[in-house]
Amino acid sequence: MAAAARPLVSVQTLEGDMATDGNSVPLPDVLKAPIRPDVVRFVHAGLSRNKRQPYAVSKRAGHQTSAESWGTGRAVSRIPRVPGGGTHRAGQGAFGNMCRGGRMFAPTKIWRRWHRRVNTAQRRLAVASALAASAVPSLVLARGHRIEAVPELPLVISDSTESIEKTSSALKILKQIGASADAERAKDSHAIRAGKGKMRNRRYVNRKGPLIVYGTEGSKIVKAFRNIPGVDVANVERLNLLKLAPGGHVGRFIIWTKSAFEKLDSVFGTFDKPSEKKKGWVLPRPKMANADLGRIINSDEVQSVVRPIDKTVKRRSLKKNPLKNLNAMLKLNPYAKTARRMALLAEAQRVKAKKEKLDKKRTQLPKEEAAAIKAAGKAWYKTMISDSDYTKFENFTKWLGVTQ
Amino acid sequence: MAGIPGPLVWEIVKKNNAFLVKQFGNGNAKVQFSKEPNNLYNVHSYKHSGLANKKSVSIQSGGEGLSVTLATTKTKKQNKPSSLYNRSVMKKEFRKMAKAVTNQVTDNFYRPDLTKAALARLSAVHRSLKVSKSGVKKRNRQALKK
Repeated sequence: MAAAARPLVSVQTLEGDMATDGNSVPLPDVLKAPIRPDVVRFVHAGLSRNKRQPYAVSKRAGHQTSAESWGTGRAVSRIPRVPGGGTHRAGQGAFGNMCRGGRMFAPTKIWRRWHRRVNTAQRRLAVASALAASAVPSLVLARGHRIEAVPELPLVISDSTESIEKTSSALKILKQIGASADAERAKDSHAIRAGKGKMRNRRYVNRKGPLIVYGTEGSKIVKAFRNIPGVDVANVERLNLLKLAPGGHVGRFIIWTKSAFEKLDSVFGTFDKPSEKKKGWVLPRPKMANADLGRIINSDEVQSVVRPIDKTVKRRSLKKNPLKNLNAMLKLNPYAKTARRMALLAEAQRVKAKKEKLDKKRTQLPKEEAAAIKAAGKAWYKTMISDSDYTKFENFTKWLGVTQ
Repeated sequence: MAGIPGPLVWEIVKKNNAFLVKQFGNGNAKVQFSKEPNNLYNVHSYKHSGLANKKSVSIQSGGEGLSVTLATTKTKKQNKPSSLYNRSVMKKEFRKMAKAVTNQVTDNFYRPDLTKAALARLSAVHRSLKVSKSGVKKRNRQALKK
């Protein structure tokens, strides 16, 4: 892949340039290095500490009194107290960090680890990362640079800029290449810092504008650009991460001169060729040749292997109570069918048997016999009626023993 | 220069970038917005991000009258910021503008997933551009205090 034709970056021509000569340059490999914001942040955190100067509070602060504790029994706390009388200070607490006029807690000392050593390979990776990020418009925009009017990123301008001496012409150049909006933004942002920092020698804040990178040593371009607020100038051979990724955020807007851009390959090397300036340094390759997730997912290689989408709709069935629903029961227990049938048969059998039994007990009488019984009943009724004939009181009076 | 793919840009940009507005809510309840011009919902997400997507749509007021600018990014000019956008200023009636937006966003398979967002933004922008009628102001719905 690396051997393929390298993409070209056009060189922006400026007004008053000579006849244009070969108006594009190949893209150096550094700008295709992997972008590692994590490494940049870490290295930036280390490097930004290296400009610090030790500070501390006075060693004696808060201890310039002969205070002694009053001990217990005086109904005051046992903090050391200033001796004597005749002044307000007498009897006040001293030394402690909670006391007015006392020392601070854990007073700062000048012996502290102010600086950090950062591994050279890490520094170089961070710089390469930051450079690669500066060639991606999205990341430059995400840092807040105004590059809407810029014709192309990476932005390369012709070498005639390296010979300019005046800031006025420098501003003109910025305008021509559409970078003035960013410089303007940096200029407008100049303001007094919010917070305590302004009493700690960090009174003003302003945004960063473009970074001009030039190629030829001792070029006048440095003086031309250096007084424009927010604009920084750097030599390709001495690129500083603090300039390339201010605040540890990748994507500084960089304006290259043509000679600087052409030098990048020799300064950082390519993917195949070690750097000429940095001993034993070969550009790191990206771990993934293609980080486009959608492209990978939709590639034939992946799509031919993955299972097709299961589009069948799965419906949940209602759970049925097998004790109430026969079909559900039969699913669980196939024997239930036989059992049920046998139970039904047995029941029928039992009912039949009982009926037979009862029927046997209730034997039907034959007709003549029934008629005879009926006739006997009738006869008895008749005699009863005739016996109770009260028309003659004979029997009755006889029974009473009454004589008339 | 091929440019780096969108998912990678998004990973770099999603935690912090110049357009991100993080000031609403905390933890689970937070809402993150984005101030990118080509973010239709102004919402901080990969789908709507103008930084991470090769194809993005921006709908903004056109500057004069009721005109609205519809801009889409060119996929082949990704590292040429000045010629990145296909801009068109629309000064038509609303229905026609809506038709134009669906044509540009959906019907040519540009970003069909953003149809709803684009139409919503068009309508919001259009409404904001309308000048309120002069004369007696409408009273608000609160009852007047006497």
